[in-house]
Amino acid sequence: MNRVRSTLARPPRVYTILAALLLAALALTAGRGMAQAPVVDLSIEPSMVKGARTAPVTIVEFSDYQ
Amino acid sequence: MKEYDGRVRLIFKDFPLPSHDLARPAHEAARCAGAFGRYWPYHDLLFANQPKFERADLVRYALEVGVPRDGFVKCLDEHRFATAVADDVSQARALGVSSTPTFLINNRPLVGAHPVENFRTAIDEALRDKN
Repeated sequence: MNRVRSTLARPPRVYTILAALLLAALALTAGRGMAQAPVVDLSIEPSMVKGARTAPVTIVEFSDYQ
Repeated sequence: MKEYDGRVRLIFKDFPLPSHDLARPAHEAARCAGAFGRYWPYHDLLFANQPKFERADLVRYALEVGVPRDGFVKCLDEHRFATAVADDVSQARALGVSSTPTFLINNRPLVGAHPVENFRTAIDEALRDKN
């Protein structure tokens, strides 16, 4: 089951995925309590995406160029 | 990416750390290159030339990947993508991301620079979970 949903959003070139962080929340926010996993809307710039939209696995990379 | 063709999609999100003062302009610059359809070549140049990100460097890289100077400079100077970069940072923080690089592989975190083998394992697990 995928926890990332893709839908087309209003600014036409930006769509949104809902990242419901279940396991991620546990690992990343340890200490904040694990009652509710945060659900965060991610804006996606199409030029910053590689690979097929239909791919079963989505990797979101948060990186710093410096 | 090649060996997982069709099975993996990669979404890059900007997370310039506040302590890296040259990072933010570099992230904005990459999005400017993206506006000219050259996001990934520019992205690769930035990583290859880290941390030479003075304005003149950023412009030079743009020319190297075939982005027209005037359009690029205008985009950079008017900070056209400052808000977009800031939005990425807020989203990262909302998710609890605090260091780079952080990867979410079908929402499962992999934090830090890992050998490629760890990515294979994580991707293979995610693919198995889908089946």
